[in-house]
Amino acid sequence: MTDVMLDARPKAAGAIAGAGLPEKITLRNLRFYYGDHLALKTINLPLYDHRVTAFIGPSGCGKSTLLRVMNRMYDLYPKQRAEGEVLLDGENILSPKQDLNLLRARVGMVFQKPTPFPMTIYDNIAFGIKLYENLSKSEMDGRVEKALRGAALWNEVKDKLNANGMSLSGGQQQRLCIARTVAIKPEVILFDEPCSALDPISTAKIEELIDELKAQYTIAIVTHNMQQASRVSDYTAFMYLGELIEFGETENMFMSPTQKRTQDYITGRFG
Amino acid sequence: MIVNGYSRRKTRNAVMMGLCWAAAIFGLSWLLLILGALVWNGIAGLNLSVFTEVTPGPNSEGGLKNAIVGSLILTGLGVAIGTPIGMLAGTYMAEYGRHSRITNYIRFVNDILLSAPSIIIGLFIYQVVVVPMSNFSALAGALALAVIVIPVVVRTTEDMLLLVPLPLREAAAALGLPRSHVLLKVSYRAARAGLITGVLLAVARASGETAPLLFTALSSQFFSLDLFKPMASLPVIINNFAGKGYANWQQLAWTGALLITLSVLTLSIAARILSAQRTQK
Amino acid sequence: MSDHTVKAYDKDLEILARKIAEMGGIAEKMLGDSLEALTAFNVDLARGVVASDPRLDGLQREVEEKAVLTIARRQPMAVDLREIVSAIRISGDLERVGDLAKNIAKRVIKIAPEARLPRAIIGLRHMGELAMMQLKDVLDAYAQRDLERSRSVWTRDADLDALEDSVFRDLLTFMLEDPRNISFCTHLLFCSKNIERAGDHATNIAETIHYLVTGSNLPMDRPKGPTAGVQPDASAK
Repeated sequence: MTDVMLDARPKAAGAIAGAGLPEKITLRNLRFYYGDHLALKTINLPLYDHRVTAFIGPSGCGKSTLLRVMNRMYDLYPKQRAEGEVLLDGENILSPKQDLNLLRARVGMVFQKPTPFPMTIYDNIAFGIKLYENLSKSEMDGRVEKALRGAALWNEVKDKLNANGMSLSGGQQQRLCIARTVAIKPEVILFDEPCSALDPISTAKIEELIDELKAQYTIAIVTHNMQQASRVSDYTAFMYLGELIEFGETENMFMSPTQKRTQDYITGRFG
Repeated sequence: MIVNGYSRRKTRNAVMMGLCWAAAIFGLSWLLLILGALVWNGIAGLNLSVFTEVTPGPNSEGGLKNAIVGSLILTGLGVAIGTPIGMLAGTYMAEYGRHSRITNYIRFVNDILLSAPSIIIGLFIYQVVVVPMSNFSALAGALALAVIVIPVVVRTTEDMLLLVPLPLREAAAALGLPRSHVLLKVSYRAARAGLITGVLLAVARASGETAPLLFTALSSQFFSLDLFKPMASLPVIINNFAGKGYANWQQLAWTGALLITLSVLTLSIAARILSAQRTQK
Repeated sequence: MSDHTVKAYDKDLEILARKIAEMGGIAEKMLGDSLEALTAFNVDLARGVVASDPRLDGLQREVEEKAVLTIARRQPMAVDLREIVSAIRISGDLERVGDLAKNIAKRVIKIAPEARLPRAIIGLRHMGELAMMQLKDVLDAYAQRDLERSRSVWTRDADLDALEDSVFRDLLTFMLEDPRNISFCTHLLFCSKNIERAGDHATNIAETIHYLVTGSNLPMDRPKGPTAGVQPDASAK
């Protein structure tokens, strides 16, 4: 792979509608390596404040990797490194000075598989809050309720807050994870294929939730489900083989993409 | 034609099934025989004096009090020393050094230690502890048992922590939890039943060992709680009494064997129940 | 365009395109035949036009059903979605062109026995030729996804409008000259309106083609021809 060539190549994300909106996260010349393998090739992209940005593309295109850069999840593993800049409110989070725990408190993440902690529903939520805040029992009760309500789960679990989080259904577990993330008051929430393990009704509930969360948070979502991307997002980025092929308003991306590869992908003409 | 082939396969299947059953019954019947003999012979000598009197001389009345208490002390101390070391090592391997080369070396050596003949461990402690201190002691015995316990605990700790799903760890980290929190509050919690099972198995293993104690704790005819003196233990007493020609010694050896077997059985069943609970979740 | 991973999807779109092509052929023939029947007062030809309308209506229904089913089944995106939406729209336009042709044919059957005023037909023939050209061009443009051609159809509609205005004035003159012409000329007036409407549908199709190819719509205000003092819109709507 000749790096010089890649650098010189103009990117698709040049002229973008929506410019002028405040950018919560800005990726600048982001490159990502797994060992020697270049997995993200010079990505430039904004995440607009209080908007939902969807990342689509075939498996292995780097969309999940991109998400994991934004909260530096990759730091958990050796031999993974990022170059370039990821600006969160203008500050580069790739800087070695960045406090990772603080970053992850600001940029929350919800995973593909629901991952409730092996503890009660109440503790699943209170757990994270305790880390950052010293609350009295009643204050904590309030926060837990608020978080569960925020994740549209309160009515289903209010009578069994002391049940194990694992006892919930898959869809409920995923909403518990969202509640847990929301509880520590992040600014950005990253969703990594949040519905791929869920049935259509649970999926619909999560989508509805994302729509509501957008009022308070900036959201990025990786999904294999194109219809889902078109339903929940305001902006869509199409990635292929570690490159950002096209980025734009979701409406335009799904009705009339400018790049042939985007069109081929979203219409199911790949390979 | 198809039907022919099918019926032949069916016959062959039935024959193989039969052989498997026969092998299983053969193996199990020995086990039952041993258990039966143990219970039959052991229960005859089981009475209160076994628990209240110390080991007797040839052809005189006595019990196993000193050996039972000694076994409890030796095993307890061995596990108490070995478990934390094993847990810490296993935790390092699973959580911190997962990708480092040293972990592979540790695992390799640990596996050798796991299958090393226990008499070698006894000799090792003899050289390292007994000789410099110039007397046999309960402490040396406990240390020998600790060396037995460590590899078992290392192995189970690492395995159990590796079984904790990666997404769960990532989810914890994604909340901004520091690594120590992720480990203590999430990983250990998720692996709890497995970890306890590992320790129970280690206890079972240590409580039945004779060889490492022969050169370390030795044995004693007296009731003793002094860690720096030789101490009696059930396996060693069985070893000493069983082969001799005195009827009362032989009876006590059977009874001691029954006690050990029952306690190991209890621990194993407890471990089973715990791990079953884990898989249910 | 490369094929879909799901072959049956390609087949669905292909069937739609084929049905549209068939509808285009029928509509073109109906309009052409009805105009010829008008100029020659050929009642047999006119009856043929009326008879072929049900086939066109049936095809339109089939296109709609197929399109709805494909949307439900495949959740089409981007160009595929535009393709299907375009098929629905174009089939509707073509079906309307057929109705207009049928209406002309019915009037021919009615006025043929009292045919008069040969010079009154000349303007209508011009209009018919222009409308036929528009329809043919726009169908070709659709088959070839030809943006240029569809755009020229779109702009040329003004000519047809202008022509209709002059036909309207001529017919009005004939009616003023001799009241016995009134019934006959009124029928011709409706025919001219029908031809103009057929041209409008061709323009609609041109707009649809633009949407299909580019994903964006043409501007709302189409270049209009010189408007006459009287706008005979009421009769059309």
